[in-house]
Amino acid sequence: MSTAENLPAASGRRPLSIRSIINNAGIGLALLLMIIFFSVASEHFLSANNITNILTQITINLVLAVGMTFVILIGGIDLSVGSVMAFAAVVAGKAITLPGMGATELIILAILAGLMAGMICGFINGAVSAYWSLPSFIITLGMLNIARGAGLQISGAQTIYSFPFAFEEFGSKLIFGVPVVFLVALSLVVVAWFILNRTVFGRLIYGIGNNEEAVRLAGHPVFWYKVAAFSICGLTAGIAAIIYMARLNISSPIAGIGFELNAIAAVIIGGTSLSGGRGSVIGTLLGAFIIGVLANGLILIGLSDFVRQMITGVVIVVAVILDHYRAKYSAT
Amino acid sequence: MSNSRTSPLLSVSGLRKSFGGIHALDGVSFDLVAGEVHALVGENGAGKSTLIKVLSGVHMFDDGALKIDGAVYQPASPHAAKLAGIQVVHQEFNLLNDLSVAENISIEALPRTRFGLLDRREMNRRARTALDAIGLSDVDVTAPVRSLGIAHRQLVEIARALQSDSRILILDEPTATLTERETDRLFEIVTSIKIKGVTVVFVSHHLDEVFGICDRVTVFRNGKTIITENIKDVAPPDVVRYMVGRTLEERSDSGAGFEDDVAIALSVRGLVTTANTTAQGIDFDLRKGEILGIAGLVGAGRTEVLRAIFGADPKIAGHITKDAAELKISTPRDAIAAGIGFVTEDRKEEGLILDMPIAANTSLVDIASISRRGLLDFSSERKMATQGGTRLRLKYGKLSDAVSSLSGGNQQKVVLAKWLACQPDVLLLDEPTRGVDVGAKAEIYSILRDLAAQGVSMIVVSSELPELITLTNRVLVMAGHQIQGMLNRADYSQERILQLAYGQEKSSERKSA
Repeated sequence: MSTAENLPAASGRRPLSIRSIINNAGIGLALLLMIIFFSVASEHFLSANNITNILTQITINLVLAVGMTFVILIGGIDLSVGSVMAFAAVVAGKAITLPGMGATELIILAILAGLMAGMICGFINGAVSAYWSLPSFIITLGMLNIARGAGLQISGAQTIYSFPFAFEEFGSKLIFGVPVVFLVALSLVVVAWFILNRTVFGRLIYGIGNNEEAVRLAGHPVFWYKVAAFSICGLTAGIAAIIYMARLNISSPIAGIGFELNAIAAVIIGGTSLSGGRGSVIGTLLGAFIIGVLANGLILIGLSDFVRQMITGVVIVVAVILDHYRAKYSAT
Repeated sequence: MSNSRTSPLLSVSGLRKSFGGIHALDGVSFDLVAGEVHALVGENGAGKSTLIKVLSGVHMFDDGALKIDGAVYQPASPHAAKLAGIQVVHQEFNLLNDLSVAENISIEALPRTRFGLLDRREMNRRARTALDAIGLSDVDVTAPVRSLGIAHRQLVEIARALQSDSRILILDEPTATLTERETDRLFEIVTSIKIKGVTVVFVSHHLDEVFGICDRVTVFRNGKTIITENIKDVAPPDVVRYMVGRTLEERSDSGAGFEDDVAIALSVRGLVTTANTTAQGIDFDLRKGEILGIAGLVGAGRTEVLRAIFGADPKIAGHITKDAAELKISTPRDAIAAGIGFVTEDRKEEGLILDMPIAANTSLVDIASISRRGLLDFSSERKMATQGGTRLRLKYGKLSDAVSSLSGGNQQKVVLAKWLACQPDVLLLDEPTRGVDVGAKAEIYSILRDLAAQGVSMIVVSSELPELITLTNRVLVMAGHQIQGMLNRADYSQERILQLAYGQEKSSERKSA
């Protein structure tokens, strides 16, 4: 009973939780088949180096996708995360290159500034779209341009570099072949899972995605929950910015172009419904892996990046078609 | 005109139609004589709308016979009904708001040029003819429908319905949204198309209109036709009596009269809702442990009153006092904090999170009590849901089942459990037994009576008069966003309530839309 009770919150319901396990298992199975296929097709695929590679490559997308999961669960979308990431990176880059301070202070300042910049953008997205009940699609499309422009303006369209050594080290450090930055992303998944499944906030995020009016009439401040979901998404864009800087040792105002689409793709492939209320962050984790493994494996077996792009597109479409049937059969 | 000897244009006999276990039509018989204006009247849910849907080919009927000019008529689709010459103008318009009047009028068969392109000139010409035919020479056929007022949109629908060879025009509550002047114009048009030989079926809640323009009237009750009369031979009170039925529902003894000196739990003064800002304010008092009913027709403004009290919609004006203290309610949160609960009309849209478990739905309002510092405590949630379930005799498999797996009655109990969890002392209930089977209905009544006995005060909005008569201590009757009257239990009769609701007792000024 207690385990059965613990699971449902993951999908927000119980009779479907078995189904949702199967759903997640389905995604997991697809991932497993993919891994088996690539390890047979390419001898390099399962090498330690390549695994490290894959984990590094999916890290930023995973971080963005975790925040995106919150927004999509309330029935919204955030198109601005790529630009917001670049904006946050520029802000953090400006902070970390300030003269006359010690390395540790600079790093702390830069991290705080980057996270703050991301979260403020998310807050604005949420507040504007929730206050006027406007589609977040349009509002975040506006923010996509605003944040990109702001990043370019502040940086003078110049790449910022020469960061403290400790910061660069954090970006490239491995623990048993696992990049530290990936562990950061993974811990975000755990935190997000806990919030979504164990807290009142998470429960109401699912509730708003399912039936916003019922949640409002039950006396909950729906506006603030929506603002919080977008702020979390902005915050993860800030975290992604810090990771991006640490990995590449630069901070570029033209970073992250199109990243929002990969993040949305990971969430959707992970089985979260675009209309909100249904899905899980574990699915998002698997979705991010599928995109990453596809990208890596297809190139290893000698296909061009263009073909990779086509196949990723097909996977997204198939995932949405599957979601359509899931929604249909789960409706009673 | 109303000579029923002439062979009928349309004859309906013994028509039956069920949806699931509900008999929407349970023996409907009447005739339409060519060239008459025939009214269909009856309470909400008496079967008028279902009949219209059968006649217009939306629903197939289960049993009975339809004949047009003596030939069997069995429309399989709305298109077939149109071919047979039956046109319906619905309550909700079927117009494409951003297209022009002409495009809307011709939408079913757009004229084409030799090259297969849209023949705009012919389209506009046809629209002009159609509009002129009903005296709408002042409407520009190239204007988008959106730019027209409600009344004109309706007239455009009528023009569209009439341009093809229609023999029977069904108007489903055409005056619901019209002002008096617009209604007069509509009636002129009805009279003129009647002269052209079109038979009009007129569905209305306004008996004065029925008596103003109709030749005959057929009364519906509980899915049956009760009687068809010549308008000349009946008076409005007779029609109301036919709608109600001669036998009054048995009264339950439990909720006898209510003492006048019981303390007032909630008092409403000068309440004006956003739905009708021109109305005079609404005043009433709710006593402790009382069940106060609000009766009225659909659109009378009953739901709006509940929503305004609860803060679900903003209110234009008005004071709400609870236990002698003035409340400032601007959101549902304020109302809940003041001890007010609201069981909404539509549990699927506003009450429940269908995909979520029973337990999660039960704890939705009082989620603070099953959590600590924002963390959910699943075992106390289960306890809350178990207690609520036991108290309301909820039939369920597991608390973790999605609430959508329950029957309508049990879903409604979950909604009740959700509100009872926070122990409100005033409960607003909007159609608390809609879509609930008879057994669950009786259970819900007994739950509500128990609550009243425990001192919970309730306002119940219901379209079912027997429900109000069994359940309530007093009934307030609304029409046109105004209170038409307040009946004490001793004075209850369906007839009295309906007469107030239909504005037969007071000369109710029509609201302007």
